[in-house]
Amino acid sequence: MSINNFSKVVIVAKDEWRYWLRSKLAMTVLAIGLVLTVASVIVTAITMMELSHTRHELQATSDKSFVDQPDRHPHRMVHYGHYAFRTPSPLSTLDPGIDAYTGNSIFLEGHRQNSAMFADSRQGTALTKLGSLTPAFIVQTLAPLLLILIGYSGISRERESQTLSYLLSQGTSGATLIAGKGLALLSVVALILTPLTISALFTLGSGEGLLAVASFVLGYALYLIVWVLLILLASSVFSKNSGSFTALAFVWILLCIVMPRVASTTASTAVSSAGKIETDFAVKAELRKLGDGHNTNDPAFKQFKQSLLNKYNVSSIDELPVNFRGLVASESEAKLTSVLNKFAEQRMQAELKQTQVSRYFGWVSPMVAIRSLSMIVVGTSIETHHRFLRETEQLRFDFVQGLNKVHVEKLSYQDDMNRNADTAATQKARVSAQNWQILQDFTFNVDSSKARAQRSIPAFLQLLLWIAVLLGGIKFVGRRLL
Amino acid sequence: MSYLLKQLAREWRFLLRQKYLVVLLVCTFVMSGFAVFSGLSEVTQQKQTIERLKAADLTDLTNVQHKYEDPGSLAYYSFHLTYSSPSNLAFAALGERDIYPWKHRLNLLALEGQIYESDAQNAELAQAGKIDFVFVVSALAPLIVILLFHDLFANERTSGRHDLLVTTAKSYFALWGARIAVRLIAVIVCLMLPFYIGTLLSHSALADVGFVTFICVIYIAFWTALSVWWGKNASSAPRVASTLIGFWVLVAFIIPILGDLVINKTVHSPKGGDIVLTQREAVNDAWDLPKKTTMDAFVASNPQWKDHVDMQSEFEWKWYYAFQQVGDEKAGELSHAYRDAAHTRYQLAGIVSWFSPPLLLQRTFTRLASTDALAAFRYEYRMRGFHKSLREFYYPWLFIKGNPPKAALKNMPSFKKTMLNEMDEPEVTGVKLKENLSVN
Repeated sequence: MSINNFSKVVIVAKDEWRYWLRSKLAMTVLAIGLVLTVASVIVTAITMMELSHTRHELQATSDKSFVDQPDRHPHRMVHYGHYAFRTPSPLSTLDPGIDAYTGNSIFLEGHRQNSAMFADSRQGTALTKLGSLTPAFIVQTLAPLLLILIGYSGISRERESQTLSYLLSQGTSGATLIAGKGLALLSVVALILTPLTISALFTLGSGEGLLAVASFVLGYALYLIVWVLLILLASSVFSKNSGSFTALAFVWILLCIVMPRVASTTASTAVSSAGKIETDFAVKAELRKLGDGHNTNDPAFKQFKQSLLNKYNVSSIDELPVNFRGLVASESEAKLTSVLNKFAEQRMQAELKQTQVSRYFGWVSPMVAIRSLSMIVVGTSIETHHRFLRETEQLRFDFVQGLNKVHVEKLSYQDDMNRNADTAATQKARVSAQNWQILQDFTFNVDSSKARAQRSIPAFLQLLLWIAVLLGGIKFVGRRLL
Repeated sequence: MSYLLKQLAREWRFLLRQKYLVVLLVCTFVMSGFAVFSGLSEVTQQKQTIERLKAADLTDLTNVQHKYEDPGSLAYYSFHLTYSSPSNLAFAALGERDIYPWKHRLNLLALEGQIYESDAQNAELAQAGKIDFVFVVSALAPLIVILLFHDLFANERTSGRHDLLVTTAKSYFALWGARIAVRLIAVIVCLMLPFYIGTLLSHSALADVGFVTFICVIYIAFWTALSVWWGKNASSAPRVASTLIGFWVLVAFIIPILGDLVINKTVHSPKGGDIVLTQREAVNDAWDLPKKTTMDAFVASNPQWKDHVDMQSEFEWKWYYAFQQVGDEKAGELSHAYRDAAHTRYQLAGIVSWFSPPLLLQRTFTRLASTDALAAFRYEYRMRGFHKSLREFYYPWLFIKGNPPKAALKNMPSFKKTMLNEMDEPEVTGVKLKENLSVN
């Protein structure tokens, strides 16, 4: 485009702004849009920071209360267990994603994998079922509507008031006209994105990666560009304002309100994932073969016992230099964990598959695309929750095996076997509280910003395809404006 | 009469000739149909899951009863399925069932440690929300109605026909009334037809269907009246629709969001984590406390066992379960406050929903279908009642009688039996439920 053409585009854009400034409706819509965006950015930032603070605090309390436990039998500590809390990522101040829908704390104990507890949505009012005051919702759902309200008549207005043929005959090409109107809408997009971008840049200070922040802002920019193009297209195709408006409003209902729900409903119908309770039956059946780690006489440990006797070259378990009960506990925990992990992995894969199905709908709805993109980049998608589950499982296994090691090495088998005889024997079957230091400090971190950005590539492609198709469409009608 | 029909027939032909109206109506029908279809399949899945769980639960319980003799081990290894089946109307309003758990397996250990376990579905899908019939009616139907009715007058004005039509029409009704009636009936039929098919397939009660029809028609008529009234004197259709959609955004999003903010700021609730932490500390400390301390606390709330709390060894199951219950009691206050807060929030949300017709409709509907938070509270209450009956079953064996004979195990409570006993009681709802929730 030559300089001359570009200045023409700018003139058209300026003229569009002049029209908006004179229109009460456009100004109201713009003001509401900005207020909502700014308010959502502030409110969500405060909420998420509070959450982050509370969970950090709870984690610290939990760590401390574990270490502060008195002298005990080590296996008591295995059952005492530990709590892990999922602290939100810095960028989640802009899109809390599934944070409220999955439990944010998990109880870690021996022999079991618990599910996360206390999802905030269960304490909610059910008032935010349709939408919530988060920047993600405002920009994904309401911003397109605002753009439609401002821009639906961009070209069709000129046509309806018969200024279009005049403009075109004066040497302004169709392409220039559309580009100018587009530029004006893009400036509105920039306006909406400003509070979002500023807030996103702030998270850099809290350790968020530049790549994630850039992908986040770019994703939303692309998404709103899709809507600008849709508006330009409808406005160019329809001969009347009312036609353009009705079509756009209808498209908005379909893409922003209906499609995300159709996607999730289809996904859960298409891919069934058995709940935890149900898979637990299968887990239990498999575990039964492994034997009960509390019971050293369980026939399942016969071979293990024999191999130990051979290893230490002794004839009975009383002569072993280590605590046989602890060894059995450790051995059975390891086997049990591998079974539990196998099933947990299956369940996560099924969930991932479901999510994948719903994400395919991004090809037909840019709203679904930006929704996944946003949650993935921010680190509040299902993958992050799975990461939390995996990391806490590792934490669980480590501290349980650490305690079992203490059981093996620091508690004699005889004392252990006599532990229920009388009070004195119970006192003797204990180890020092210093052993509880084996617990590692746990802080949950989301995937690296590079990994998150990579994961969001399909969603980016979906948005880019929309843009390419719409640009093609506009180019086609741009030549036949009259 | 024939005059009236003639008017309606004419308007019907007009409607069919306007392509975008037909597209709108077809889309409405398709969306409503999809919502009903997916709702039905979701409910079927839930029912099948419960059936599978029941079978597996029974097998598991039989195995455990074969393997163990003593009441302590039996109580430790026997898990009992609790569940809340979807109602016959649930297909139309899936409600909160994707957020609140509706199935658990409980044993005699401390309840507070088990009750918050959630066997929830995919969180990312729950966050997007499901499309069900009540969503189509409450959120989408107003938009469809706005698109159908906003240009009733403006359209004729911009085409320059308005004044001519008004002066030549026989009566007001003959012109606008017939047009409104035809569009209104068309949209109601498109919305409700799939629902009726769904009710036939799921054997819903006729009274419920009638009530749903009633509120849906009122609701759609409200939006129709609003759109017609607002568009009456306007000449720019998009302007009318913009304001109406703005109003819809206000009542569907803004008011509920603000209400939610205010409610969350005013109602304070203990953190869920604190309940389980308290319970865990109590249960674990008991191992190191003198047995008498635990047993005294236990007897205080269960005086009938006061003559049977002496212990012969350092570990006895009765002591073990006693400190489990004491742990529950220690966390009781927090747990009550937690439940009360949830309940207060639910009630306050009811006030807010009077200012938001879409939410009011959803609330009424999910209450009718027993898929709302109240139904979830009710299920939790039942679980607590069931746990209580488990304790009542095991305690005599644990404290006095020793190993139960196999025949006695037949009297073991099951969740199904507990529910059957409840059938005699009147339905617990609203304020009544709140009182009942306070019973452990």
